[in-house]
Amino acid sequence: MDLSYTERERAFRDELREWLAANPPGERPQGEEADYAWRRDWQRRLHEGGWAGVHWPVEYGGRGASLMETAIFFEELGRARAPLPANVLGLLLGGPTLMVWGTEEQKDRYLPPILSAQEIWCQGFSEPDAGSDLAALKTRARRDGDGWVVSGQKVWTSGAQFSKWCMLVARTDPDVPKHKGLTYFLMDMEQEAVQVRPLVQITGEADFNELFVEEARIPDENVIGGVGNGWKVALTTLMNERAGLGFFLQVRLRQLLDELVEQAAASGALDDPRVADRLGDLHVRTEILRLTAYRGLSAIEQYGQPGPEGSLVKWLWSDTNQMLTQLAADVVGPEALTAGRPWAYELLRARGNSIEGGTTEILKNIVAERVLGLPRAR
Amino acid sequence: MRFTLTDDQREIQRTARDLLANRSSFEKVRAAAEQGPDEALWRELCELGWPGIAVAEAHGGQGLGAVELAVLLEELGYACAATPFLGTVLAAAAIEHAGSDAQRERWLPGLAAGELRGALGAPGELMPDAPGANVVVVVDLAQRTAAVADADAVEPVQTIDPTRRYGRAPAGGEPLEGDAGPAIDRALVAVSAELVGLAQRALDMSVEYVKERKQFGVPVGTFQAVQHRAAQMLLDVEGGRSAALYAAWTADADPQRLPLAAAMAKAWASDAGRSATASAIQLHGGIGFTWEADVHWLFKRAQLDSAFLGAGAAHRARVTALTRPT
Ligand SMILES: Cc1cc2nc3c(=O)[nH]c(=O)nc-3n(C[C@H](O)[C@H](O)[C@H](O)COP(=O)(O)OP(=O)(O)OC[C@H]3O[C@@H](n4cnc5c(N)ncnc54)[C@H](O)[C@@H]3O)c2cc1C
Repeated sequence: MDLSYTERERAFRDELREWLAANPPGERPQGEEADYAWRRDWQRRLHEGGWAGVHWPVEYGGRGASLMETAIFFEELGRARAPLPANVLGLLLGGPTLMVWGTEEQKDRYLPPILSAQEIWCQGFSEPDAGSDLAALKTRARRDGDGWVVSGQKVWTSGAQFSKWCMLVARTDPDVPKHKGLTYFLMDMEQEAVQVRPLVQITGEADFNELFVEEARIPDENVIGGVGNGWKVALTTLMNERAGLGFFLQVRLRQLLDELVEQAAASGALDDPRVADRLGDLHVRTEILRLTAYRGLSAIEQYGQPGPEGSLVKWLWSDTNQMLTQLAADVVGPEALTAGRPWAYELLRARGNSIEGGTTEILKNIVAERVLGLPRAR
Repeated sequence: MRFTLTDDQREIQRTARDLLANRSSFEKVRAAAEQGPDEALWRELCELGWPGIAVAEAHGGQGLGAVELAVLLEELGYACAATPFLGTVLAAAAIEHAGSDAQRERWLPGLAAGELRGALGAPGELMPDAPGANVVVVVDLAQRTAAVADADAVEPVQTIDPTRRYGRAPAGGEPLEGDAGPAIDRALVAVSAELVGLAQRALDMSVEYVKERKQFGVPVGTFQAVQHRAAQMLLDVEGGRSAALYAAWTADADPQRLPLAAAMAKAWASDAGRSATASAIQLHGGIGFTWEADVHWLFKRAQLDSAFLGAGAAHRARVTALTRPT
């Protein structure tokens, strides 16, 4: 074990810093559309600079960065106050899933436009009656000639309004046990048969959507990982969501914490031992999250994909982010509860953290059953 | 000793619950969030004499006590009602308990009848019901003094809780000559009671939901993780209710114990209100994170109430200071 940077890693960091200094992400604009356009443009610039898929292998158009370099990449992005790239689900979930399960043709076709943000991806897993119990999903895909016809409803689909492709899990065989009859598709969002209806969140914004799918067509070559194998493919996506996204999000958490500490120092709140105690706790948690995320990256290196330990990272992240944004309400004062102000937004948005990507209750079940090997509750 | 509501108090509670279930549905709350306070509801509450419930009869009130007021506020919290009730009763309590005779005569009858609207809070902080208030009481929490500020100087602030109007008032104004300590403590009790109501509603909605919502072929309320969270919410609620009712009782019956009791109530209720309403979102899953599910109104109001006049940590510190061995 050696946690210091090598010569090469330092060179990587210096090169990246230089690039970021020459290509600052700029200020987050007001409004959802503008924000999205900004993130899309940011990803394009990353791509042009050769930084969009740092962790992707060179053969897939990535930079083939080592895990340590990938970690450095995320941290430097955080330091530069860069936003999540617009196609975050493609980069961190969809791409890696294709790399494990896709055919050569699929990888050639779909990976490059993920990197360039030319084609945005969304995740159509959850349904009104299948959230935590994802395998109970009812969206039906039936064979029709050399393709599939899909009908059903998805819900909470983040970014669907901007997406070209949907990672869609549908039931292709209703007559086998629920985990076995599923297939993972890439569905083209640009067809009449797919209707997107925005859902307003408690923040007042509409980042997620309902999808109404009525006889949508999906060609056979858009099946990922084989018919009937959808559950396994979906798990790859979910593990990447919990581990890979977790890494990105811990950097964001660090940014927020630094901001809060700065404000507390400026206002004098930091001299209050009660505040100091809680900020110290948040520092410890954020660092432990970071260190655990590093170890998670090593696990990916060793086993090719993240393990269920990723659940710990996502759980710790959502808890810590909720604690942090709640503390801000005490430390920052009225500003933190004023509509439209950044801290107020973060406070509300953080409530979704323990629900999205698998609820904390479900993550704890996974840890208990799959990591600790405890008997299933029922 | 008998730690239950009297028949009369229970009657007030029942009447309030029934009335608000009818008149302050979430549909109404949603409308108020867009259009401002529910004036029709406010008029109705005024006709019933609610704003004057704890004000002495000599000043046009009903001459009941802090317990009755707490009972009403819990119900108003339960309904997340969009009226200027809280600010008005807090201003009235401050004037009644810290004002001069002249000040009482000048403002109390109007406040008790709801013809005048009031607000109370610390200068520069978010003050509930301040925009549109006629009597704005600013309190100095450290010095335990109060003054009636210039109502025109209130600067409205749009907060994350659009079901109530908030504003910021500057320090200074016409001083209330008495000790404002009891008035501040009464305000802490009142807002704690509202927090208990919010938390109770969060719990009731959650229990109802997890009994209905099925995953893995069973109601999600079958899972112990869900059960334990709901059980925790009940502890949050009941602990807060014990503390708020006790503190309300001391206000009239044993004022010497009021400062500690009020600090205890606000310490517990601030945290309990936050955590129970956050739990309600969690137990509703993705639905709970949507605007249309209504649980977020409770979370948002609880956030504002919790920060109002100091959140949990501030009051825990006060509890320790008040119980320090001499
Ligand atoms: C901001 C946000 C963005 C999202 N984006 C997407 C997206 O892009 N694509 C997508 O497919 N989905 C998305 N989701 C959906 C998310 O994955 C689901 O909301 C989540 O899996 C929970 O499902 P549910 O909402 O049906 O809640 P339910 O499963 O109904 O859960 C209700 C409650 O019961 C608990 N519970 C359920 N089962 C158990 C159990 N076995 N043991 C203990 N407790 C249990 C839950 O923890 C929760 O508290 C998003 C959600 C949010 C909040």
